[in-house]
This record gives sequence, C-alpha cells and structure tokens, in this order.
Amino acid sequence: MNIQKTVNGTTLTVKLEGRLDTTTSPKLEEELRGSVGGMTCLVMDFEKLEYISSAGLRVLLAMQKIMNRQGEMRIKNVSETVMEVFEITGFSDILTIE
Amino acid sequence: MVYIQLGLAALCPAIVSAAFYWSNKRAGFSKLSGKTKQAVYGLAFGLLAILSTEFGSQVDGAVISARDAAPLCAGLVFGAPAGLLAGLIGGAWRFFAAIGGEGVYTGLGASFTTLLAGLLGAALRKWMFDNKRPYWYYGLAAGSVVEVVNMLLVFLINMEDVHTAFELVEKATLPMVILNAGAVTLAMLVVSAMAGELRKVRGKNRNQLAQTFSRWLLLCVVLAFLVSSLFVYVLQTRLSANDAEKMLSLYIEDVRADINDASDDNLLKLTRKIRDALDETGDYGEPALFSLLDANNVSEINIIDENGIIIASTTEEYVGFDMAGGEQSGEFMALLHGEKELVQRYQPISRNEGVSMKYAGAVLQSGGFVQVGYDSGRFQADIDGQVVGLTRNRHVGEDGFMLIANEELRLVSDPGGHEGMSLDVAGILLTPEEDTYDASSEKFGREWQMLSQSVFGQSCYVMYGVTEGYYIIGALPKSEVVFDRNMQLYTTVFIEIMVFAALFALIYLLVKKLVVENIQKINGSLEEITGGNLNVTVDVRSNEEFMSLSDDINSTVHTLKGYIAEAASRIDRELEFAKTIQVSTLPCVFPPYPDRTDFDIHATMDTAKEVGGDFYDFYLLDENRLAFLIADVSGKGISAAMFMMKAKTLIKSFADKESDVSRILTRANADLCENNEAEMFVTCWMGILDLKTYTVYFTNAGHNPPLVRHKDGKFEYFKTRPGFVLAGMEGVKYKSGELKLMPGDEIFLYTDGVTEATDAHNELYGEARLKAVLDRLEGASAKEICLGVKQDVDAFVGETPQFDDMTMLCLRLTPKHSITVDPREDTMRAVVSFVEETLALAEVPVKIAMKMNIAADEIYSNIQRYSGATNAQIECAVSENRLTLVFEDNGSPYNPLDKEDPDTTLSADEREIGGLGIFMVKKTMDDVSYEYSEGMNRLTLKKSWEA
Repeated sequence: MNIQKTVNGTTLTVKLEGRLDTTTSPKLEEELRGSVGGMTCLVMDFEKLEYISSAGLRVLLAMQKIMNRQGEMRIKNVSETVMEVFEITGFSDILTIE
Repeated sequence: MVYIQLGLAALCPAIVSAAFYWSNKRAGFSKLSGKTKQAVYGLAFGLLAILSTEFGSQVDGAVISARDAAPLCAGLVFGAPAGLLAGLIGGAWRFFAAIGGEGVYTGLGASFTTLLAGLLGAALRKWMFDNKRPYWYYGLAAGSVVEVVNMLLVFLINMEDVHTAFELVEKATLPMVILNAGAVTLAMLVVSAMAGELRKVRGKNRNQLAQTFSRWLLLCVVLAFLVSSLFVYVLQTRLSANDAEKMLSLYIEDVRADINDASDDNLLKLTRKIRDALDETGDYGEPALFSLLDANNVSEINIIDENGIIIASTTEEYVGFDMAGGEQSGEFMALLHGEKELVQRYQPISRNEGVSMKYAGAVLQSGGFVQVGYDSGRFQADIDGQVVGLTRNRHVGEDGFMLIANEELRLVSDPGGHEGMSLDVAGILLTPEEDTYDASSEKFGREWQMLSQSVFGQSCYVMYGVTEGYYIIGALPKSEVVFDRNMQLYTTVFIEIMVFAALFALIYLLVKKLVVENIQKINGSLEEITGGNLNVTVDVRSNEEFMSLSDDINSTVHTLKGYIAEAASRIDRELEFAKTIQVSTLPCVFPPYPDRTDFDIHATMDTAKEVGGDFYDFYLLDENRLAFLIADVSGKGISAAMFMMKAKTLIKSFADKESDVSRILTRANADLCENNEAEMFVTCWMGILDLKTYTVYFTNAGHNPPLVRHKDGKFEYFKTRPGFVLAGMEGVKYKSGELKLMPGDEIFLYTDGVTEATDAHNELYGEARLKAVLDRLEGASAKEICLGVKQDVDAFVGETPQFDDMTMLCLRLTPKHSITVDPREDTMRAVVSFVEETLALAEVPVKIAMKMNIAADEIYSNIQRYSGATNAQIECAVSENRLTLVFEDNGSPYNPLDKEDPDTTLSADEREIGGLGIFMVKKTMDDVSYEYSEGMNRLTLKKSWEA
C-alpha cells in the first residue's frame, strides 16, 4: 500500500496504490489523521486502488466525518470493484464521488 | 487320299486356333501387346492360307482348297486386324501363284475371295459382334457366303465361256463350301469348347436380345432362302421342261411340215397329171381310169360331178357316193365352189374309218372334179427319199436330234445313220405296252406329250408327232435341259445367298443400331439408377419411341427421387426426434451440481448420423455418494436406442434400491435378459464414488477400461478383469472393485466410438492417442477434457464420416488447498496470500479473486479479533466456475450470520462502522453458511461466475 500525499494550499490530495484492507487501513488512518489538520479539502485519488475492505471503509467514514466538520472530502477515479463495495454498503450515498 | 489331304487341310485352322487360344492363357504369350498379338495371328493364318493353296487338291478336275477358311477364322476368332492381315497374305499369294501359271482360270477370283474372307471376318467381328467371338454357326454362314462369292466370281470372270465355267462351279461349289465353312466352324467349335461355352446351361445364361434376334433372323433368312431356292428349283425344272417341250414340238412341226409339203407336192403333181389326161380325153370310163391308176401308181381315182356325186371310180362301190355325206370327203366340196385344187392329209376316209388315205382333187374342165387317192405304202415309197435326208442335219438344241420312223416303227431318217433300226431297239417306246393303239385315230395315245426315255443309251426327253404315216420323233438329252436349269438354279441360289446374307447383316445392324444399342443404353442408365444413382438421366434421342421412353423413365425417376427425398427427410426428422429424446434423457445440464465444488463431472455424447445406443448417466445417491456410468448398447438405430432407454432406466431404478454397485448391475442384467428377443446386449462401466473417502466402488460389465490419473501423475488405463456384458446371459453375478482416489484425481470413461474412430486411411484413433491427449490436457476442467478429447478425435478423423457414437464422461475430484494458521499471530497476510495464489493458480477471474480476497480479509479479521481461536484452517477449492472457501477455527462458537445487517441508508455521521465486513461478504458471495460442530466454527463461502 502506497500513500502519496500532496498539499496544495488547504487541499490535501492523497493517492492510494494497492489494497486498502485490514492490514493497511491503520497505516492510512494514521497518515490522514496527521495530515488533515487545517485542510478544507481532502481529495482521495483511487485510481490505483485495487480493492477496499470494511477496514478501509471505516477509515473513509472516519475521515468523512472529520472533513464534514472542516470542509469537504472528494473521492475520484473510483474503480468498478471499489464502486461496487461503495454501493453495497451504502457508502456511495455518503461519499462525494467524482 | 485326296479326301484325307483335304480333311487335314480343314483341320488346320482348328488346330492353329486351339494352339493360339491355349497359349493366350499362358504367361509368355499373353504378355504381348494387343497389336503384336494381332500381327502374330494374322501372319500365322496368312501362312496357313498359303499352305492351303499349295496343298489344294484336284477333285474332278477342279482345284479345291481350304484357303479362305484361314483368314475368315483369324478375323472371327482372333480379331479384325488379324483377319485383314491373313486375307491380304493369302490373297496376294494366290494372285502371284496365278501369274506363275497355276490355277489361272480361277486366279483373280480366288485371290479376291481370300482377301474378302479376311475382310468379311474382320467386318463381322468388328461391327456385328462387338469384337467378340461369334457363335460357330456364324462361321458356317460366313464360310458359305465367301465360297458362294468365289463361285460367282468364277462365273463373272469367265463370262465368255459360261459352259466351262459352270462345269467347274458345279463340281467345286459343294466341296469348297463344305471344306471352308466346315473348317471355320470346326475351329470356332474347338475354341468354344476350350472356353467352356458349349457346356453352359442355357437357363443360366439368358440370351441377350441381339443374340435371340439374330438367331431368329438367321433362321428366318435360312428358311426364306430354302423356300425360295426350292421354288426356283421347281420353277426352273418346270420351265426348262416347258422349253424342251416347246423346242421339241417346234422341231417336229418343222419336220412334219417338210414331210407334208413333200407328200402334198407329190400327190398334187400326180393329180394334175391325171386331170390333164382326163381333160384331154374326156373319157371317164373304167378302163381309162385304171390305166391312169397304173400309170401314176396311185391307189384310187374318183370322178365327181357338179353335184358332188361320184360318177366313176376305180373302186366300184364308191360310185354314187355323195361327197357331201362324209366329213373327210365333204372337204372336197370346196372344189365345186371355186377352189381349183385341194390336198388332204393322210387320214381315215369317210366311207370306211378303218382305212387311211391321202386324197387330192383337181377341177375338171367338164365340171366336177377328179379325186386321186394315195395309200401310205405308195406315197411313202414316193417320198421316202426326201424324208431320209430331212433329219440328217437337224439338231435340237445342242445335242438333241430328230428321228423319223415309218408305220412299221422302223427308222427311216436318223442323223446317226441308224436307218432301218426298229424304234424299240433304239430305246424309244412310243407306246408303253399297256397303252392301247387307238385304231380310230391311228395315233398312239401320247402324241405331242413329252416322254422320258433312253435313246441310244442317253437319257432324253422324247416327243413325237405323226404325219402322213410317219412318226417324227424329237429327242433332247436331259443333261442339256438340266444344264440350263442347274445354271439358273446355281446362279439364283448364289445370288440369293448373297442377297440374304447382305439382308441379314443389314437388318441385324439396323436392329442393333436402332433398337438393341438404345435398349442397352437405357438399360445401362437404369442399372445405374437401380444401383442408387438417381441423378442419372436416360437420354436416347435417336427416334421418337426411344425419346418418349427416355422421357418417361426420367420423369418416373424424378418422381421417385421426390418420394425418396421426402421419405428420407421424414425418416431423418424422425431419427432427429428420436435422437433428441434419447439425448434429453441423459443429464445434460452442466454443471449438474453447481453447489458442489468437491467434484467436477462432465459428459458428452456425440451421436453418429444414426441413433445409437451409447449412454452415460450420473446421479447423487445421497449427499456423499455419486453414481456415474457409461454404457454402450450393441447395434445401432431405433432398436438400440430403445434398449438403451430400458437399460438406463433399470440401472437407475436399481441404483436407488441397492447400495452395492455389483448388485445394481446384477439385478439390471436379470431384468434386461427377460424377453431379450432381439439378442441385444450392453457393455457398462459403473462406479459409485464415496465423496468422503474418495473411494470408487465399480463394476465393469464388458466395457472398455477407463483412464485414471492420480494427482500430479499421468493418465493410466485402469484395466481390471471385466464381467460379462449386460443382457448377455441370465444369472450373471457381477463383482465390484475398489479404486482409491484423492482430491485432484481424475477418471475418464469413454465408449469405443472414441478409440475406434477411423481416419481416411482406416486407421483407428486408438488407446495410445487417447492417453496422449488426456495427458496434454492436464489441469483442465472435466468439461475442457471432454471437449479437448473430442477436438483431438475430430482433427484425427478429418472429413471421414463416423458411424459410432462418441461418448465420454470425466469425473474430476477437485484439488483441495488449505492453510493452517494461528489467528493470534499476525497471519492475515499469509491467509490473503494463500487465497490469492490459490485462485490465481486456478485461473479464477481477477474480479472474483478480488472479492474473495476482501471476503477472506473480512472473515479472517473477524476470527482474529473475536473468536479467540488458537488454530484456524482455510480451505480453498476451485471447481471450474465455482469455488468454495472454508474457514474453520477452534474459537468460541460464533455465527457471524446472526448479526443484524447495518442500515446502509444512514448518513456518514450516523453510521456505525461495525458489521459492515460480514454484510459485504454476504452481499458479494453466492452463499455463506455457518455450522458449528465438534468444537469447530465452520464458515463456508461459495462463489460462482460465468465462465
């Protein structure tokens, strides 16, 4: 799991590469929690995300809750596999997916 | 001696023919080419013709030889070219021999005839007998015709001396015909006998139309020839007799006229003398009359007055006789009506029919007339001198002659100088003894009739006429009469033979050309049609009748074709239905057990064009027992298909009742044997797989050995001693065997349609090829294995049509992969990797693999987090397009499925994060099941996808 963060003003763009599962989710959560402070916009680029498990969803939900308070969170380049998970779990309604 | 020589000559063609026929059956000679053989035949028979010429014999002055037989024989028996060559050689030799001086008389004709014999033999064989050896009687006919032509040519060439020519012909014809025609016939009979044709039973060898026709035509022609020849013979005999008769009577008339003239002149001369004397004297007195009588040597003088009454006579009793009173005397009344003179024939007188006299009368100056009578004795004495010379230089025809005899039947005139000879000495009997002399007419009964008598020792036709007491006899040698007739007869018969032969050939050829050949053409086409080729059309258009026949046959065949096509398509449809029904009784939905990943079964049946008797079957007897079998019913067609249904149903019904596979087949066999009138049987290999122990209990009823591959090994034929075929014998007890398998093992069943598939060179596909292709298909699913084998067989046979069903069944025990881990340790990565790798190895689609990865992540993270288990086993089995993933742990009993599903409609802030993992698993898997047994939690995930 590769996490690539780019800060542009108050916008944090995070590119994920690999799998967001039980093993990797804690690392992402840790990274994001340390970075979103002061950010008004969190952009998650899922172009290279292979799949996402419920552990990953929890991170996304947590981040969404945080960003709801200080700005917004957008997710872009969602693959079909990941989108399927979002839809099954109702996350597609919660998240802002571009 | 001469006849022996000729007989030997006649045997030669037969001997040479036999020799050639014999050698033709032997290797050395028969190897020669057709042309060479013909040349050899031609040379040999040409040589034979030369020999015949040289050894010809004189028979009654005519040279007889069997020369013409050789070329004719060569042509008829051995072929047209041989005949032509032999004819040329023989003809040329004869021609040059003639120039050399031998047999010049017949030379040109004879050499031409020999050439003709070769030509005729060649032509007959080529055109009339389709280059086949004809029957012997054609040889006889051809030989006769050739010799007839020969004789006609002798005639033609020697027209200036027909007589000599005919004499030669008359002598030579019969021997030549017998010799040559006989030689040819003999040769042909000998060859026929060698070919064994004479012994053929008539009934077996049905006569061909042309043969029957020609035989009857030949018979008719021969009959017509005989009848017309007989007619000509009778007619010519009659005609020549008539001619002879006419000629004889003409000659007799001539001589008679001469005699009459002589005697009339004589009597008239005397009468005039007496009249002149009477006119001078006017004395009609008796003495005067008697003196005149004596002076003129007559026998009677009568003086008749103007009233026709005898007024004076040397015969006293005549005086006073009325001349008008008698027929003979009445003629003289003409003298009273203007006639001056009259002479009568020597005939019976009116006064006395018993006395014959010759009278003459002359008118007297005084009126009335004088009648002078003359008896035969007196006037014959007067004219004998003249009569004697009359016949001396007369000829009747060429060798016939005239004779004159007097009333005493002694010759008075004869060109041979037999005067004075009595007629009967000469051999002439004018009246047979029983014949009476007609005194009243003074004639023998057969005057002017032609008699057959021997005159001077020569058989003659004889005729006579009587005048003035003379018998004028004409004689014509019979040989002369017959000569003409014979010449006529010979020429007519010769020409008839030629005409009839030509007619026969012409009619034969015409009928052959117009009828027989056309019929044969039609027959040929019909034969092809009967042989099954309905696309043949009959096309004989040489005349209207055959045209319409051809059209009729064509339209019949066309209609028939339509019916057959209709019937065929109906049968095809029926068979198609039957096939469909048959196939539909077999399990045909694959995969048959989508929820089972522990085994993978697939079966295919490719039926040949006909409905066959192959079948396969499988069914789960219970959760853990799979029955599977393959079978082949003997024979093909509907009966095999029906028997197959019976067998299949019986086996299935007993499979439900019996647990032991051998018992199933034993009972099925017992039932199948009942009323098995059709003597059909079934080979069958049936197995029952225990899915818990992976043991196959099987029974083989005479079926091909299956192929078994153990995990990571090669396929091997699993050969066991098979039991007897099903339905073959009552009371057969089958035995069962055991085959121990493991997950990943495969068993492949097939029918002999697979191993006995044949390619264009009639080579069998065979067991070795089957094993090879199966080994190449390692790792493939059951379905892929079946299809792969089918493809390989198809590639092997190519376009060659197959006549047997091809049935295969492949059962594959899914390989099982598992990993045992300790959930307390950080083993998540190991578990996910295990799942990922197993799925990648089984070529599961990436998307499915992702879902399985997520599921594994969710479930195992749950186990790690909540179960408190110290040991967990993850088991993954992929079977074709489905897989199972089983999680087993020894943690506290916990059914994640009991947990309520999260509300996925809540907003982000309201959402609880728990339960989402299991929810996702439930949503993405086809089936998730949980059980707890023997201290183990067991969660099974199932997922399938579209292949």
